[in-house]
This record gives sequence, structure tokens and C-alpha cells, in this order.
Amino acid sequence: MTDRILTATVVLSLAAVAAFAAPPTSAVGTPGKHAEDSCVGCHSKLEDSRLRAPAEAANSDVHHTQGVSCAGCHSGDPTSDDPAVAMDPKRGFVAKFTHKAIPEMCGSCHSNAAFMLRYSPNIPTDQLAQYRTSKHGQALATGDTNVAVCTSCHGAHGILPPADARSPVYPTRIVETCGHCHGNAALMSRYGIKGNEISEYKRSVHYAALVTKNDLSAPTCKSCHGAHGAMPPGISSVSNVCGTCHLSQRERFDQSPHKDAFAALQQPACESCHSNHAILHPQDSWIGMDDKQVCGSCHSTGDAGATAAARIASALGKASSADVTTLARVQRVERAGMLMDEASVKLEEAHQAFVMAQLEIHTTSVGRVEAQTKTVLGALAAADKLAAASETEIRYRRSGLFISLAVIALAMVLLILKIRAMER
Amino acid sequence: MRALEKFWHALDERFDLAPLVEFATHKEVPRHRHSWAYYFGGLTLFFFLVQITTGILLLLYYRPTSEAAFESVQFIVTRVPFGWLVRSVHSWSANLMILSAFAHMFSVYFMGSYAKPRELTWWSGFALLALAMGFGFSGYLLPWNELAFFATRIGTDMMSKVPFAGAWLLKFLRGGEEVTGATLTRFFGFHVAVLPMITAALLSLHLALIQRQGMHVPESLEKEAKARKPIRFVPNFMLREGAVWLLGLAALAALAAFFPWELGIKADPFASAPAGIHPEWYFLFMFETLKLIPAHVLGIEGELLGLGVFGLGGLVWFLVPVLDRGSRTGHRTRAFLVLGWFLLAYIVSFTLASLAGVFK
Repeated sequence: MTDRILTATVVLSLAAVAAFAAPPTSAVGTPGKHAEDSCVGCHSKLEDSRLRAPAEAANSDVHHTQGVSCAGCHSGDPTSDDPAVAMDPKRGFVAKFTHKAIPEMCGSCHSNAAFMLRYSPNIPTDQLAQYRTSKHGQALATGDTNVAVCTSCHGAHGILPPADARSPVYPTRIVETCGHCHGNAALMSRYGIKGNEISEYKRSVHYAALVTKNDLSAPTCKSCHGAHGAMPPGISSVSNVCGTCHLSQRERFDQSPHKDAFAALQQPACESCHSNHAILHPQDSWIGMDDKQVCGSCHSTGDAGATAAARIASALGKASSADVTTLARVQRVERAGMLMDEASVKLEEAHQAFVMAQLEIHTTSVGRVEAQTKTVLGALAAADKLAAASETEIRYRRSGLFISLAVIALAMVLLILKIRAMER
Repeated sequence: MRALEKFWHALDERFDLAPLVEFATHKEVPRHRHSWAYYFGGLTLFFFLVQITTGILLLLYYRPTSEAAFESVQFIVTRVPFGWLVRSVHSWSANLMILSAFAHMFSVYFMGSYAKPRELTWWSGFALLALAMGFGFSGYLLPWNELAFFATRIGTDMMSKVPFAGAWLLKFLRGGEEVTGATLTRFFGFHVAVLPMITAALLSLHLALIQRQGMHVPESLEKEAKARKPIRFVPNFMLREGAVWLLGLAALAALAAFFPWELGIKADPFASAPAGIHPEWYFLFMFETLKLIPAHVLGIEGELLGLGVFGLGGLVWFLVPVLDRGSRTGHRTRAFLVLGWFLLAYIVSFTLASLAGVFK
């Protein structure tokens, strides 16, 4: 008897899981074919705009366009025109989900790999699992209903694919989406978060790349914190997060004595010099011991680090100043009508080596930085030599012109004299 | 000296050249307060001769393909000895030639020199100006730089608006649907073979007519011209003309050395058109006018209407010797004088305003 009860319990549990793991069959149509149900038909005619809005949004909703009707989430009977039947709680109808129920409801399909395979072979199905590990998910589990759930970012009705530029999670819009909550300082103060992260981020080079260059690969909130598993990266993992894009900088930092020193001090790697959200365009002038420079926060004047910083700053300063002078000279010659292609190549070489020198700063090795600035100075000297040769050529041409003009003027005077003599 | 005389006699004996010499030595140019206007034609001829000379030199290195054209011009201006000078002189001389031709045309117009019996001279001159503009349009594309590429695209696109023959004309000019290497090769052919051949023939006719009919003296200056001693063509006028040519040469040398003609950046047919695309300055008055016309006027496409008006205007200008009936008897119609001033004011004001960026 006990065995039978056990077997029946297991079977019923599996059936319940199976039922919850996918929407009712009547709610799911053919993928790629717009869903047809009685819900949209009735709700679009309702006078109450609150009840009409979901039906109006259904046309563009990714679920509806893929054949999943309203009942896919709300259950009930989408085939019945009778509201009492269609929205019968006995048929599982849920009018409004509680905040806490939303992730599990969305996850009932989105975590079902077999079901999601019907729509896309590569669609991820770990969103719910990730969400549970996120700060949002953890807080929700403790009963905090202020935290974000699926609908907070994706919307409830009229959900668009993330690749759609109108979607609130599209790269150019996600900052504002996160900012709905994270820009609210009063709300964030409850969680020990400053609430200025969004405004800080908007000062960064990353945001500038996103909005001015429309560079969709520029990092947004989710690039560093994760999307569904959103978390602040820990001190030890900051360099990993930045290093996913800034590979060369990370590689050099890992070779530097800073790596172990920062770890010992429990100090974040990249963030210590570059900040976290307001990541500004790095300046060579940051290197040094003054108040507005970054090295002085750990090093003391006269120590090995301060000495190295001074030498690195000096090497970069020399290269930068030579670059400005040579570029101005080449441009001056170019404006005078000379083609300076070879000099431009040399200038480009210098710029590339300069970028490498700036990259080598992360190793803190004076020798490696100086090796690159030496290349910069060499290329600039070559460009300068070409500019000087062109200046000589310009002088030669102008001298030739003055001689020609003098000859022409003389010929004209002689002609005029001859004409006068003839006509006298 | 004897050898030279013998050589001359040998030539004269065979070709009967004495009457030509007789003609040249007796030919005279009237002298009055507007005699300076007689030098513009010669100055235009001088710039044309410079074009032929520098053009032939450029031909030694220029390669007319979309892959090599830009690089070959770059090679000319950077590597070929005095290539920068030749290319710059060719570009500046082209512009000065058009400027001088316009000055020549308007001076001829205002002096009423188009009147009977010089109708054919006016018509051949009109055709020569059109050819010069054709030289400019076709030559503009040859360096295959960005500005020229897109300006040619816009310019040839306007041709497609011509009723009935537009589509054919567009294909004929471009050598296909788009401006490509085929267009470049075609424009090169026009620039160095077709246009020079027609120009040579027309120029010979134009010069022959002038020699045959002599210089025209406007009615208002006839008294003055009669009162003053005319200038002998050989050698006095020729020497004066020589001085003007030297002045032209000096201007060319100064412009080429102080304002070398820029090469720009290589054309990229797949790139979007950069801002500020414009044709050569002598097309600017038409270009800006077409831009000002609304898209549709009384149901007619704006550009088509504009081209129609320009076509009609050109026809009236061409037919002035016929339309200005009074000019046949030496009494020019006032309306045509007003038309000339209006046209001059329109061309000059629109060109200067466009160069000053008023229409941007």
C-alpha cells in the first residue's frame, strides 16, 4: 500500500512538473504563426484602457507572433468566447501574477530546453537559474518585492526580442532600463547602493562609445554585472570583468607587481586607477604623485614606485610633446600643397607605438614603456625629416617661381618698350 | 640670311604664300577706348595651348582606370620631376581658360560683335565655350578623387532628367547604370580625343572667320576708331598680345606655386557622399539654381523645369544674332543689352554667393 501511495505521489508530482513546465497545449500555436485567441478579440474592444492595453500590445509581442497566446502565461481557455469559461480560475486562469511568481512563471517555458528548441536552436535556457543567483533573485527569495523580476526589464505585454532596437534591454536602452531603479537614490539607499551609478556611467568612455559612435559592443550595465545573474563583481574578479574586453591591459597587469600588491591590500585592480562606473578617457597626466594623480594613493614620494612613475611620465611626456610638434610641422607642409603620405605613415607608426607605450604602463616596467617611446621618437624623427625635406622643396619651388616671374616681367618690359619704340 | 631667303622663295614658289604675308602685313586692329576687349580671345587661346602642352605631358604618366588613376596622378605630383607643376598648371589653366572665355564672350556680346555678318563666329564661339565646359566636366573626374566622383554622379544624374533621351544619355555618359571605371575610361576618351578633335576643327573655323572678317567696331565707337590710327596686326598687335600672354603665364606660375591644386582622397564608390559636394565653379550658378527650385512646380519636376529653362536660355543666347533684329543694321535692341547685363549679374552673383557658402 505504501509503495502504491509512493508511486502515485511520484507520478502525480512528475505530471504537475510537466504541466507547469510548459504552457497548456491550447495556448501554443505553430512557431512563426501569430497566435489566435478569444482574449485579444474581447480585450481590444474593452473601454477600460488598462484592460485594453495588453490586447493592443499583443500584435508586436514576441510570444504572440510566435504562436503563444495570452493563455500561455495566464492559462484559462483561449478557445472560448465566453469570458466566464475563458477566464475560469478552475481552468488555471490567473489574472495578475504576484511579483514573486513572475520569474517562475516565465521560467516555466524559458527554462525548458526541449520547449524553447522549437523557437531557436541556440536560445539560452538558464535565465531562471541565473536569476536565482542574482542579487535580485536572492532578495526576492527573502520576500523583497522591490527588486527587479523579468517584467521589470523586459516589460509584461508587448515583449520584444532583445535584438529589437525598441526593446528596453537593447544595448542603447538598457542603461535607462536599469536606471529606473538604480537611478533612484532613495530606493537604492535601502540596499547600501549610492544610486549615482547611472549618472556616473553616463560620464564614461563606454557610454560615449555607445551613444555617440552607436557602438553596440560598448559595455553597458549587463556587460560587467551580468544580465539575469546581475551581481556586483567582487574585488578579486574586477580585472576579469574588465579583462574580457581589455585583454592586453589585463595580460600586462597580471605581469606587474601591482597584481599581488593589490590582492594583498584587498584593493580592486582596474578600478583603483580607472574608477568603476565613471571610466574616463585615461590621461598620461594621471601618472604621478600629485593630488590629482593616481600613484600617490598607494606610493610615497621617493619610493621605487614613485620613481618609476616619474620616469614613465617623463618618457610619455617627451614622446607626446614630440608628436605634437612633428604633427604640426607635417600638417603645415601639407597645407602648403605637399603630399605627405610617407610622413603620415611614420606618424601612424608613432601613434601605434605610443598606444603600445600607454599599454605598457600596466606592467609598471619603465624599460618596457621606454622601449616603446623610443620607437615613437624614431618614427617621429623620420616624419620630421620628411617634412624638412618638403619644406626645402617648397623653398626651391618658390625661388624658382620668383626667378620665372622675374624673367617673365623682364620679357614683358622689353616687349612694352619695343612696342612703344615702334609706335613712336 | 641668304639660305633663309632661299628657303622662303622655295616655299613661296610652291605654295604661293606671298598673298598671305601681304594680308598679314596689311591687317589692322581698330584702336578705341575698349580695344582691351580684343585680347580676351587670344588669352583664351593661350590657355588652351597651355592645356594641350601640359595635357600631353600628363598623358605620359596618367592611367585611366579606376584602380590606377588616382595613384598615377599621385605619382605625377610626388615623383615625376616637375610633375606637381605640370598638373597644377593644367588645373589652373583650365579654370583661367574658362574664365577668359566667359570674359571674351561677354565683351563680344556687349560690343554687339555677334551681329551680321559675324553670326557664324558667334555660333562657333558659343560651341567652343560649351566644349570648354565639356573639357572641364570630363577632366574633373580623371583624378578619380572623392569630390570629383560624387560631383560626376550628381552631374550625370541630372542628364537623366532630359525628356525621352534621359535614360539613354545617362547610360551613354556613365557607360552603365553607375559611375564606375567604365565612366572614367569614357570620360578620358572624351577629354583627350573626342573633344580636342572637335575643338581643333571649330577653333580653326573661328580663327579663320575672325581673320577674314576683321575686328568689329561697335557703332558707338566708330567715330573714335576712325579718328585714331589703327594698330598694325604684325607686329604691333602680336607683340601686345605677347605681353598679355606673358601676364597669363605669370598668373599661372604664381597660382601653381602658391596654391597647388589639391588631389583630395581617392574615390570610394561604396562610401556615402561626403558633405559639400559641388561641381567646378563655372557650373555653380546652374547647380545652386537647380537646388533652389522646389521639387515640383505646377506638377512639373523641379529639376526638369530648371534644365528646361537653362536649355531655353542657352538657345536664346545662341540665337541672339537672329533674334536681335536691330543688330543687323547696327542698331542693337535695348532688350538684348539688358538681357546681357542680367545674365552677367546672375552668373557672377550666384557663383560668388555659392563660393562664399551662402547656399549651405
